[in-house]
Amino acid sequence: MRFVLRRLLLFVVALLAISVAVFAMLRVLPGDVAAVMAGVNSPPERVAQLRAELGLDRPLAVQYLDWCANLLHGDLGASMLTGRSVSEQVGVRASITFPLITLGLLVALVIGIPLGCAATLARGHRARAAYRLVSIVGGAIPALWSGMLLILLFGRGVGLIGVLPSQGFPAAGWGAPVQALTSLVLPALSVGIIVGAGLMRYTRSALGELAASGYIEMAMSCGMTRTQAVRQVGLRLAMPQMVSVVGLTFAEMITGVMVIENLFALPGLGTGLVTDVGNRDLIAVQGELFMLAAFFLLIGLLVDLAHRALDPRLKASIGGNEVSA
Amino acid sequence: MAEQPGAHGRTGATSSPTAPASPTNEASTDASLNARVKTPHRRPWAWIAVAAVAVVAVVIGIIAIVNRPATQQAGRRDTVTIGLKLAPTNLDIRNQSGSALDQILIGNVYEGLVARDENNQVVPALAASWEESADGLTYTFHLNEGMSFSNGDELNADDVVWSIQELVGKQYHDASSLTNFGSITAVDPNTVELRLSAPNSNLLWTLAGRCGLVFDQDAEYDMKTEAIGSGPYLVSEFRANDSITLKANPNYWGEHRAATETVVVRYFTDDNAAVNALASGDVQVLAPISENLAGQFADDPDHYTVQAGDGTDKYVLAFNGAGEHTSDPRIRQAIRYAIDHEELIASRGGADAPLGGPIPSLDPGYEDLTDLYPHDVDKALELMAEAGYGPDNPLTLRLEYSNTYGTDLGDQLRSQLAQIGIDLQVEVVEFSTWLQDVYTNKDYDLSLVDHNESHDFYQWADPEYYYNYDNPEVQSLYAQALAATDDAARDDLLRQAARMVSEDAPADWLFNYRITTAWVNGVEGFPVNLNQTQLPLWNLAYESE
Amino acid sequence: MKAAIGYAATVLRSMWRHAGGRFPLVVLGLWAAISVVSLFWTPQPLMRTDGYHTWQSPSAEHWLGTDGTGADVFSWLMAGSRTDLLIVILTVLVAAALGLLFVAAMVSRHTALAGASVVVVDALISIPTVLIALVLAVPMGASIAVIVIACGFGYGLNLARVARPQALLAAQSDYVESAVSNGASGAYVFFRHIVPNILPVMLVQLSLSAGTAVLAESGLTYLGVGVPSGTPSWGHSLATTVRFITVYPLTVLWPGLVVTVAVVALNLFGDALRDAIDPVTNPELRRAAGATRMEEDGHGR
Repeated sequence: MRFVLRRLLLFVVALLAISVAVFAMLRVLPGDVAAVMAGVNSPPERVAQLRAELGLDRPLAVQYLDWCANLLHGDLGASMLTGRSVSEQVGVRASITFPLITLGLLVALVIGIPLGCAATLARGHRARAAYRLVSIVGGAIPALWSGMLLILLFGRGVGLIGVLPSQGFPAAGWGAPVQALTSLVLPALSVGIIVGAGLMRYTRSALGELAASGYIEMAMSCGMTRTQAVRQVGLRLAMPQMVSVVGLTFAEMITGVMVIENLFALPGLGTGLVTDVGNRDLIAVQGELFMLAAFFLLIGLLVDLAHRALDPRLKASIGGNEVSA
Repeated sequence: MAEQPGAHGRTGATSSPTAPASPTNEASTDASLNARVKTPHRRPWAWIAVAAVAVVAVVIGIIAIVNRPATQQAGRRDTVTIGLKLAPTNLDIRNQSGSALDQILIGNVYEGLVARDENNQVVPALAASWEESADGLTYTFHLNEGMSFSNGDELNADDVVWSIQELVGKQYHDASSLTNFGSITAVDPNTVELRLSAPNSNLLWTLAGRCGLVFDQDAEYDMKTEAIGSGPYLVSEFRANDSITLKANPNYWGEHRAATETVVVRYFTDDNAAVNALASGDVQVLAPISENLAGQFADDPDHYTVQAGDGTDKYVLAFNGAGEHTSDPRIRQAIRYAIDHEELIASRGGADAPLGGPIPSLDPGYEDLTDLYPHDVDKALELMAEAGYGPDNPLTLRLEYSNTYGTDLGDQLRSQLAQIGIDLQVEVVEFSTWLQDVYTNKDYDLSLVDHNESHDFYQWADPEYYYNYDNPEVQSLYAQALAATDDAARDDLLRQAARMVSEDAPADWLFNYRITTAWVNGVEGFPVNLNQTQLPLWNLAYESE
Repeated sequence: MKAAIGYAATVLRSMWRHAGGRFPLVVLGLWAAISVVSLFWTPQPLMRTDGYHTWQSPSAEHWLGTDGTGADVFSWLMAGSRTDLLIVILTVLVAAALGLLFVAAMVSRHTALAGASVVVVDALISIPTVLIALVLAVPMGASIAVIVIACGFGYGLNLARVARPQALLAAQSDYVESAVSNGASGAYVFFRHIVPNILPVMLVQLSLSAGTAVLAESGLTYLGVGVPSGTPSWGHSLATTVRFITVYPLTVLWPGLVVTVAVVALNLFGDALRDAIDPVTNPELRRAAGATRMEEDGHGR
């Protein structure tokens, strides 16, 4: 319990620190949103006028406290450029990024875990080497490249077997569920293959460690075959570790899929963030970074808690650490 | 699934060196484990196979579904999708700069007193006709009758007067180009009189842009996310940086009634994505298409049409007139001689036009000035030597430009200028950083921008502009041109001024970017000229074969 | 010193003996050699562009053809290898330093420090490196430093988290207890007893990080926050050619292949190195180590 409380406290402190850091960093940047709005054909007076309208001429502390006050009411403010509320904007983008990541992770799990098990069970020098090669090569391909190769293979209109859409998200969004889903297939595959190779490696190394640690032998001495032992005992024991890996992978993918989003013209979270930073839309960037940071910290928290809940061995070792430390 | 028997599984188990074969396990005391042992099992191979089959089945299923709508009937489509490049971040045409807004909103959603045709000439719009007084100070506009906004509100002289007064009063974007504005009054519901304090030969053309737009003074709406105008289309959905859906305006008053019910505009930042979208049929029109990527469509005239149109995009390589080295005219001239414009154009696919001065061919006062500074490396070397530099003693200059123009131009300029002893440090930055460093602080040696606006010669007559170019003669010529009440006289004065600017070499004009547009055969009525600044879509239609 | 060289030679020799070790050694050797050569010579001058000969197919003059500015793809790939090598080395150094720092803090005898650092690492580890890079690039612009700092930070945290259990075991071992009771300093204990124990894990983790750094470079450069314009790198080659893949698919093949091969080699290198320095799997090392230890003992320690 003490652990959980401490973890939660840290979560809050970290959020506060991040909000200050993000705010301060964004204000010292060259360029501002008023200049972007005014463009290259406006006199300097026009920029000053826009700055005043946007409230950018107020003291920094006032701007920060103002923002924090709104935040306490759950209001992240409205983007200076698009005029839409930041949370709504994030929601629209997340409705592309999260399904993409989820699909990608599904692909990765379907590829990674069975192959990882098979690699652990593989006997014979050649089979082992082959599995190893698959996992290493799969993880070594640049996302940009694999995405491109997939487009060249399957992209509708350009690919050899051009059957899948490779460009953008339907204008109707999830209002056209089939089109929306199909537009995510190729991007999810390109992400999934790479992440899958990573998962395969984790599965193999986790199972390999367990095999070495004697749990598997123990299970086999109780009458299971090696295959059964690996699948039933090994996987279950490896579960907490896998949960952390999948959780962290999910977090990493939110911005990790940016290259893929760009390539497939999907207006997701990462792409949106880059656009907003480029436009110096401070309120939006602030809100987005804050939400992302909060989300990442939350995932870290959940992964930790899940890890502890799933693995009694860890509880013992952490307890041990707290005593000895 | 785990219960399925599998020959491989058994083989795997029995050949295992550590696991005893199943039969010997019957000695185990644990009944549940015994039960497990007797269960036939298999290696994950089968599992993988099942998973793979499942995935393939899902993919094939999806493909089948996706492919179904491809068998559409021939005939007139009620939806046309077009692909553009620069996306607007909001719809607030009164405050937000950028031609992306002019492109999509003017003439489609909002209408001005007057409009521009595809040769950049002023034509009637809300005003059916107008008169100009002999002294050039009074313009009388006769409005069309029975006009209305998309929300049903009537559009009359009061709205026109209110819109322009708001523009001037609140100094909305571009208000400064309404030079010498005096007053505007409604003579009667269909007549508006605009008075100037001094003649402005640019007035009508200016009113065809943002300054002449007429808004509904009674409508309350968020201009950033919605648009209520009097044009043939209304905005039914707007997704910032991504897409705009236009629907035919049921309350449209005029002759330019929309030919297609729904026009979806999608924005592609990635050229490749755009091309794939056209090739796969996701969009029917693409403007602009990178000339280098247009080949595959140009080679397929049975299905596609590719055409380059004229425009007013000027790629201006500005030399800071107050810069430490660029204030030396010899260095500026050397750079102009050193740049091989033909090569730049060739590498971009060959559609662009060379440009020797500040005025492009569609603007008044145009004259071919490309022979002022022809490509001549020897001459450039001479000038550099006079200034004290050469290939053995290179001069370091910094080029800063926005990342929207890609890295290729910087690489090419670096290579070309290296030949005359200039070590060009290229910094590709975000647009906002460029605005701060170059546009606002004027802290630069060389800068590169695509100045796509038309009639923008005023930049060279304003010593405060980021070029730091101050030539009183040019300023006086431009003032006279503005005051001219006769178009021929105006054009002549502008021509003289442009030549003078080009001779002074405050910048090099790399080329006049000509937009290449590609569309699927069967698309009609998509403007080819100037389609990045104003893109009237009312005539757009698509009849598929 | 002599012992160190002998040790390195033994390790390299046993790595070379297996195919899984020979491949990375060859690739990394080539990589280093090409990086050095590219400083003095490339088949075509690096910065020369030619607008009339863009997107050329491979020829005697341009071995892998030219890109959109008419620059020689092979020369750029050659020169790119030195930038990527630099990025990899710097990233690994930063990650190793940060990782060790965090490990030291986490196994520290100061309860508060240890507890706090565990929680801090766990919290920070979920922030993706790409996000860090994006945020860093805002004030710094596109630069190599952005890649190195972002990757070094992220991979350092990762390293610390992965190495912690081993380090903890070592910290609680009898060796450490007795060293501490003999009055050994914290730093001495850490480097003498704990670092050797986590070294195998570290090496594998660092070699994975090195590979990921190459991938990150290509991704970040494509997004415009990585290597700046005019600096050759594999990511630059990939990003500039990828835009025209539908028209010139051949050109984009090369940078992608180079990156893949390099990353594969880096990953294999870590595994091979781990096997080669582990006395359990490497009998040769046991013999060599035995000899050294005897020598040391002979000096009366």
